[in-house]
Amino acid sequence: MRKLKILAAVLTAASLFVFFTPHFRQGLPTPGIAHAQAQDDWRSEFEALCARTQDSAGLPVEELKSLVERCDKLKPRIEKLEESQRKVYLKRLQMCRDLYAFVLESREKNATPAP
Amino acid sequence: MKKLLFLILFILICAGVTAAQTGVKKKRPLPQEYGRVILNNFSEKAGLPPVVFDHWLHRSRFTCRLCHVDIAFAMKADATNIRAADNAKGYYCGTCHNGKMIYKEKKVFESCSTKPSADLKRCERCHSLGKNVKREYDFVEFTGRFPKERFGNGVNWEKAEEDGYVLLTDYLEGVSIKRPALAVKKDFALAPKVEGMPEIIFSHKKHTVWNGCETCHPEIFIGVKKGTTKYSMIEIFDGKYCGVCHGKVAFPLLDCQRCHSKPVQ
Repeated sequence: MRKLKILAAVLTAASLFVFFTPHFRQGLPTPGIAHAQAQDDWRSEFEALCARTQDSAGLPVEELKSLVERCDKLKPRIEKLEESQRKVYLKRLQMCRDLYAFVLESREKNATPAP
Repeated sequence: MKKLLFLILFILICAGVTAAQTGVKKKRPLPQEYGRVILNNFSEKAGLPPVVFDHWLHRSRFTCRLCHVDIAFAMKADATNIRAADNAKGYYCGTCHNGKMIYKEKKVFESCSTKPSADLKRCERCHSLGKNVKREYDFVEFTGRFPKERFGNGVNWEKAEEDGYVLLTDYLEGVSIKRPALAVKKDFALAPKVEGMPEIIFSHKKHTVWNGCETCHPEIFIGVKKGTTKYSMIEIFDGKYCGVCHGKVAFPLLDCQRCHSKPVQ
């Protein structure tokens, strides 16, 4: 009887451990969680990308190129959002992308941006 | 006979002079109407009057960047294609006008509702073209103590900010992105095309503080190298380059000395 109790305790502890391991949870996503994660993914990428506009004039060429590429990569994901969100965030993303491309062009021509 | 001919000629000249004075002259807007934006993409189709947007009130509280970058309003009237559903979901006007946001201890009224039982009086706060709607903020009262300017809406907004009459918000939680502080840009001079005209001192600093970078570059000013984008006053009066804002919402182009401000050597 005592052995059975120990076995039950070990099995419970093991199953709890496995369930709370991230790899295990990634394998069994609930639709709500997966949707929220996808939402957060595009949003955090968008924020990371557009957070550099203020200091874009001082960014190195390689970083500017990377930002433009990442903007282009993010665009199809934003295009899949619902209408209102899509309109707003596509415009915002486009403005960031265009600014980085503008600064990049300016940098490559080794000139300062005109007003 | 000669007298009659002279009389006919005189009447024709008078008529010609009178006709030349009317019809083509553009009426200058009243100070409170300067910068007013009328939005009518969908309003009349939905059975509502067009929206009357008072730019002066919003510009007294928020930077240009906040609305035209973070909230994504286009720089031209009707170019944003705002729908009531967008507002109701918390975008565009609905970003702030959501019935929840508190501004200066006052709840900001909700803009649009998709519910059929929506309060029509509330709709009329914005959908008010041609209606006698009393505005919550009276222009004369609101701007009474602000520093004055000759043209536009009669307010020197730059000085009003310097003197602390307006404090512009540039960040909205959940909408804006936390960014590093903007590097101070140097003001610079631009040479005019007409000989004898004072050079233009462009306040890059003021423009970047209010607009950020992406409001102007590259949508309005596409030239990369300083001086490569050639533009004339005709184009500016036509609403291009500086004319995207100046002459519409920012101080008008009649105020030559505001830009052509460098003393002639």
